[in-house]
Amino acid sequence: MSSEQTTGQSQGQLASAASSEVMIEITEMNKWYGQFHVLKDINLTVHKGERIVVCGPSGSGKSTLIRCINALEEHQEGQIVVDGILLGKNLKNLDHIRTEVGMVFQNFNLFPHLTILENLTLGPMWVRKMGRTEANEIAMKYLERVKIPEQADKYPGQMSGGQQQRVAIARSLCMSPKIMLFDEPTSALDPEMIKEVLDVMVDLAETGMTMIVVTHEMGFARTIADEVIFMDEGDIVERNIPTEFFGNPEHERTQKFLSQIL
Amino acid sequence: MAIVKAVNTPARAAPISETSLVGWLRKNLFSSAINTVLTLFMAFIVYLIVSGVVVWGYLDATFVAENRRECFDNSLTGACWAGVIDWFDNIFYGRYPREEIWRINFGGLLLALWMAPLWITRVHGKILVGASVVALYPFLAGYLFSGGDKGLFVQVMVAGAILAFVINMANVVAGLVRNQSLDRLVIDLLGQANAPDKTQRNILLGLLAAGFAAAFLWQASWTVVGVSWTKWGGLFLTLVISGIGIASSLPGGIALALGRRSKLPVIRVLSTGFIEVFRSVPLITVLFMATTMFPLFMPEGFVLNKLVQVIIAVVLFNACYMAETVRAGLQAIPKGQFEGAHTIGLGYWGTMGLIIMPQALKHMIPNIVGSFIGLLKNSTLVSIIGLFDILLMLRSISRDVPWLGLHKEPLIFGAILFFIICFAMSKYSRHLEVTLSAGNKH
Repeated sequence: MSSEQTTGQSQGQLASAASSEVMIEITEMNKWYGQFHVLKDINLTVHKGERIVVCGPSGSGKSTLIRCINALEEHQEGQIVVDGILLGKNLKNLDHIRTEVGMVFQNFNLFPHLTILENLTLGPMWVRKMGRTEANEIAMKYLERVKIPEQADKYPGQMSGGQQQRVAIARSLCMSPKIMLFDEPTSALDPEMIKEVLDVMVDLAETGMTMIVVTHEMGFARTIADEVIFMDEGDIVERNIPTEFFGNPEHERTQKFLSQIL
Repeated sequence: MAIVKAVNTPARAAPISETSLVGWLRKNLFSSAINTVLTLFMAFIVYLIVSGVVVWGYLDATFVAENRRECFDNSLTGACWAGVIDWFDNIFYGRYPREEIWRINFGGLLLALWMAPLWITRVHGKILVGASVVALYPFLAGYLFSGGDKGLFVQVMVAGAILAFVINMANVVAGLVRNQSLDRLVIDLLGQANAPDKTQRNILLGLLAAGFAAAFLWQASWTVVGVSWTKWGGLFLTLVISGIGIASSLPGGIALALGRRSKLPVIRVLSTGFIEVFRSVPLITVLFMATTMFPLFMPEGFVLNKLVQVIIAVVLFNACYMAETVRAGLQAIPKGQFEGAHTIGLGYWGTMGLIIMPQALKHMIPNIVGSFIGLLKNSTLVSIIGLFDILLMLRSISRDVPWLGLHKEPLIFGAILFFIICFAMSKYSRHLEVTLSAGNKH
C-alpha cells in the first residue's frame, strides 16, 4: 500500500498557517565534511508557521541541512539565524537554540535506561528547571496527544518502532519548541507503523507549528507542506508549492527523482 | 495448496532425555563408550584430589596445639591449623592493641549499617545514603581507627558523620514503617504538611542545625586513645587500602576518562599522558616511587606517613586502569544518544551525568568489578614495602618461634579468605547486571 493512500488525500491540503515573521534565515551557507562539499551556497527563508518538506536522493545533504539548523553540525561559511539568534561559536546561543528547536530522528534516539515518562520529563526538569509534578503533567499532556498515555511507565525497548517515534515527538514537544525538525522520521519503521507517526505529524501541523520535514512520504508532503524543496548534491535545486512541484516539476533532476519514487 | 492441518496439534510432553536426571546423565556423560570411560576416569581423579584434601586438611589435621612440634607429634600427614588459629588476631587486625580491637569491629558494623539501606527497597533517598557513605563515613572511621586528639576539622566532620548516621537510621525506620522519606514524615508529624515549601525547608534546616549542634557537643565529650598507623595490619589494613582504592578509583577513573575525551587540548593531553605513564609502570614501581622518591621532592621537614603515600599510589594507579575501562564503556554508547540529549537542551554535564554515564556504567559492571577484584589482590604488594598487610602477616607466622617453618597452612588460609571475598564480589556483580537490565532490554 502506498503511503499516499495511508495519509489520505481526502483530507486535502491543509490551510497554510504561515505568517510574515521570519523564523529561520539561511544566507550563502556552505559546509564541508573534510574535503567533501556537502552543502553549497544554501539560501533559505522559513516563516513562522510554515511547513516545509525537503526531499532528494540520499547523500544530497538534506539531513545535514536540518542538522545545521539545530547546530548539531557546524557550518563553515555563511549565516544561519534561527528565531533572531545567530548560530556560531557562542556556546550559550547553541544551548538556547537547542531548547527552541525540537528534533526527531530516524532512529528515535530515546534514552533506553529511562521510562517513557522519565524520557519526557528530563528536559523540562533539568533544562527548564520545572518541578516534578508540573513536568509530569506536561509529559502526560503530550503523551495523550500522541495517543499513548498508557505506556508512560514502560521502557523504550518494550515498545514498537511507531510508538517509540511518537514518544520521541512528544519528548521534543515537552520543551515547547518554536520549530520542529524531522529527519526521515518514518524511514526506520515497518510499513504498518508509518501511518500512526504521520497522523501525529499532521495533527502537529494543524496546530500551526513551524516544521521542516526531511521525508520520502510524498502523500504526506502533498497534505501538509506549504512548500517542497528538492535537494541534489548539496544544492537546493527546486522549491515550489506541492501541487506545482508534483504536477509540474521544472528541473530535469527533479523530474528524474520524482519518476523514481512515485 | 489445500489446507494442510485443520485442527491445532495438542502439546505433548518433552522426551525423557530433556527432563529427568537419568536422561540428562545419559545424554551428557554416558552417551558413548568413550564418553563413559572418560567420565569414570575424571570421576576417579576428582575423588583422588578431594579425598587427599579432606584427609590432609580435616581428618588428619591438628587444630589445637602449643607449637609446631605438638602438631608433628599428633600427626605427620595432616595440616597444622593450630598455628593459624593462634595467629587469628594478627591475621585479621595486625598489631592493633588488643583492648582496642572493638573499634575496628565497631567501624565495620557502622559501615554495614550505613550501607544496608541501599538494599532495602522501601527506603527513600538512596542517592543521599550512598553519597554520605563516601563523603562522611571515612572521617568517622578514620578517627575511630587512629584515635588521639581531635582537631577542629576532625570534630566537625565526625559530628557531621554521626548526625548523618543517625538521620540515615531514622530514615530507614520511616521507610520501613511508613514507606515515607524522613523529611516528609517529620513535616507530617509536626502538622506542617500544608505549609509553604519555604517554611517546610526552614523547619528542616533548623532541625538539621540543632541536630548538628547536639552531635558536636556530644562528640566533644569523648575521645579514643591514639593508635599509630604502624600498628595497623592484617586483613584490616588490606581492606582499608583496597576500600579507599575502590571508593576513589571509580570517580577518579571517570574524571580521567572524560578528560581524555575532552575537546580542550590541554586537559586531553594531560589526562592521556597521566593514564599512559601510570599504566605502563608496574604497581610495585609506583609503590616504591611513592614511598622512597616522593619524599625527596617534598620541602624539608614535610613528612607524610607511609600509609597515606601508599594509598595515594594505589588510588592513582587504579584510577588510570579504571579510566580505560570507563572510556571503553563510553565508546559503546551510540552517537544518537548524545544528539538526543542535545536536542532537549542538555549541556555537557547533563548529557554525561543523566544519559551517557548511567548507560555506560551499566555496560561496564563486569569490567569494573573485575578491576576491583584485581585491586584487592594487588594491594597485597604493599607487603613488599613493609606494610604488615594480610600477606606479610601470614608469612610472618613461619618466622614466629613456636611455628617456625609453617608456610603452607597460613597461605592456604589466606587463599580461602581472598576467594571468599572475591567470589562474593563477582557473584554480586552478576546479580547487579541481572537486576539493572531487567527493565530495559534493547
